[in-house]
Amino acid sequence: MRGLSILLWSAVSLFAQRSSLPADPASIAAGGEIYRGSCSGCHGAAGEGSQGPSLLSGRVGRLSDQTLFNSIRNGLPGTSMPEFPLPTESVWRIAAFVRFLSAPAVQANAAGDASRGESLFFGQAKCSGCHMILGRGGHPGPDLSNIGALRTLRQLRESVLTPSARVEPGYRTVRASLADGRILQGVARNYNNYSMQILDSQGQLYLLSRDAVKEFELSDDSLMPPLANPGDLTDLIAFLARQTTRTGSP
Amino acid sequence: MRLLTLLLLPIAASAQVTPSAIAGSPNSVWLTYNGDYAATRHSPLAQITPGNVRSLVTQWVFRLPGAKQLEASPIVYDGLMYITNTNEMYALDVQSGREVWHFRAEGAQGSRVNRGLAILGDRVYFVTADCHLLALHRRTGNLLYDVEYASFAKGYTTSMAPLAIGTGILVGVAGGGSGQRGFVAAIHPETGKEVWRFWTVPAKGEPGSETWGNFPAEMGGAPTWTTGSFDPELNTIYWPTGNPWPDFYGGRRPGDNLYSDSVVALDATTGKRKWHFQFTPHDVWDWDANENLVLLNATFRGKLRKLLVQANRNGFYYILDRVTGEFLHAKPFITKLDWTTGLDDKGRPNVVASKIPTPAGTKVCPSVRGASNWMSPSYNPVTGLFYVVTLEQCDIIVASAKEPVPASGFRGTGNEGIPAEPGKFYLRALDVLSGEKKWEYPMPGPARMWAGTVSTAGGVIFAGDDDGNLVALDAHSGKDLWHFSMGRNIFASPITYMVKGRQYVSIAAESDVFTFGLFDGNRVN
Repeated sequence: MRGLSILLWSAVSLFAQRSSLPADPASIAAGGEIYRGSCSGCHGAAGEGSQGPSLLSGRVGRLSDQTLFNSIRNGLPGTSMPEFPLPTESVWRIAAFVRFLSAPAVQANAAGDASRGESLFFGQAKCSGCHMILGRGGHPGPDLSNIGALRTLRQLRESVLTPSARVEPGYRTVRASLADGRILQGVARNYNNYSMQILDSQGQLYLLSRDAVKEFELSDDSLMPPLANPGDLTDLIAFLARQTTRTGSP
Repeated sequence: MRLLTLLLLPIAASAQVTPSAIAGSPNSVWLTYNGDYAATRHSPLAQITPGNVRSLVTQWVFRLPGAKQLEASPIVYDGLMYITNTNEMYALDVQSGREVWHFRAEGAQGSRVNRGLAILGDRVYFVTADCHLLALHRRTGNLLYDVEYASFAKGYTTSMAPLAIGTGILVGVAGGGSGQRGFVAAIHPETGKEVWRFWTVPAKGEPGSETWGNFPAEMGGAPTWTTGSFDPELNTIYWPTGNPWPDFYGGRRPGDNLYSDSVVALDATTGKRKWHFQFTPHDVWDWDANENLVLLNATFRGKLRKLLVQANRNGFYYILDRVTGEFLHAKPFITKLDWTTGLDDKGRPNVVASKIPTPAGTKVCPSVRGASNWMSPSYNPVTGLFYVVTLEQCDIIVASAKEPVPASGFRGTGNEGIPAEPGKFYLRALDVLSGEKKWEYPMPGPARMWAGTVSTAGGVIFAGDDDGNLVALDAHSGKDLWHFSMGRNIFASPITYMVKGRQYVSIAAESDVFTFGLFDGNRVN
């Protein structure tokens, strides 16, 4: 809850220009309360989706404020989204909270020392051993050059704290024994019954016919180790949240 | 275990792409938009011949989700095929057609099509519709830089495939229809910093500015929306430019409007102009000269020359000396051509006054789409033939003297087709040194496509036709040898390459990339 409060305060500037949405943290928090009672059952506690669709997608992000409001108030005919005939102020508060959930981290002015976070990323925390930002760093983890525009603060925190909770497609770890006796370890960028494409920690790519693969083992456990010092989390997130190649993206 | 992994050699080789490797393309690889710096689109591969081409079968099809009109030529290197769509690039395992990585430029603005990419070192480069050049790691798709080289907010957009020449990644812009000032820029491959920029509309006081009257250079157009050619020996790049703006009304821009509708020869190191040749002075028909510039060396009128040839949108096939820019020869390559009585000995057209567009509308041949356009021609040095897709069509062009406003959609009014005279495409083989037609392949269809060609040493020409077919024609005779209906329109040009001893042909069509190879009963992936 404390983390949420920090995020809410950070989000104030995000909503400053949305005249139809309440911008103050108290209203967003109030919207969150209603959301948890009325919306989270279908859309997930953090908007990640369950029975209902994710609210973190670009599609929801591109809805106008008024369309978002109308979708909540009137429901979506032909879908399982019901109407919520709540007072107008409450609906706007829910809409503000939904916006808060899906706001890219770069727009949230994340708290923490980003400069120290950078030092951690490229040093003690060893993130750059597997991840790259604008060409600095290593393989085979996902490129983080624009991660602040692609993830919410909540998603960034989750990725650092519980990296195996959500492994990106194309980044499942793999150990493959080849027919010629060689053994490869890395991530499976793709595979099917006929071919397999593996990227190893040196950034080398192996394009294999499945005839060449004697056996292989995939794992959903991320290669990413836990953060050695949990106290570094805030600064590390502050750094990652600011990684974007374009202002205003996405 | 990790040590063992380190000792393994990657199955995909890891050699860096050098400028000399690009200069040697195409061979087994395809390393530029046109395959080679000279834009011949001629491959030395000869496994597929007129005798066996009927055994071609599809190897794989890859769909780019959301793509509607792919116009890119892929690049193939080191086991991977790279292809672009608007604001995104894919890398595919070229043998299986499986996605290896995908990069989307989130936040990029604009929705123009994209025609391809460049490769150099360990990097692949492409432009987004809002005029950013992006460098990606070629094996992972990791972003290495993202630099803006023209302002989308000021109306600039782009769609072209960059050209990598070692000292710079060459980029251009669209804008002939919206009033931006064209340029070619070289951007440093490693740092993303601009090395030089050549403006295709000279500033006031510069040579050529006298050809615009008082029209502002900033609105002049002359865009650079296709990929130029490069002669490493002469250290010269050749870049084609588009129409002056407004497209159809020239009353506010008196003069020839240099360097619109031209080829500019630029020093590759400095970007300084060496010479220029203007195909359509004071254009009021929207006949961009952005068609490919094909470089070849041949004996012309008894003298070995370095030549540059182009089948221009205005209906003439041109031969220039690419060392000096001297006009050597031109010949119409379409029959529906009425805007000029011919060219003088300097290549300047004698314009028919009644073909200047008026507010009431003027019928002009060729059409605004031109006798040819950006779809790629090819040249086979063995047959001595230049293979070009041509369009026989006329238009009604309407001009307006309305005050031009950049980026407003205003083009000086516009054009409309003539329903009773539908256009028709032909693939024509021209004698490269005379422009004389040797054979033609008519294309029934709706006259909608933008498909080009590739030539092979096997004696087969591959081209997209106007009815959604990839066709294989005999390079000498034009005989129809094989076709495959892709069930969709084609707006791209085919390429050919070789992997593990097998020659392949690939082409994009609407949302998909198709790859073909000779039937192999042992193939399993």
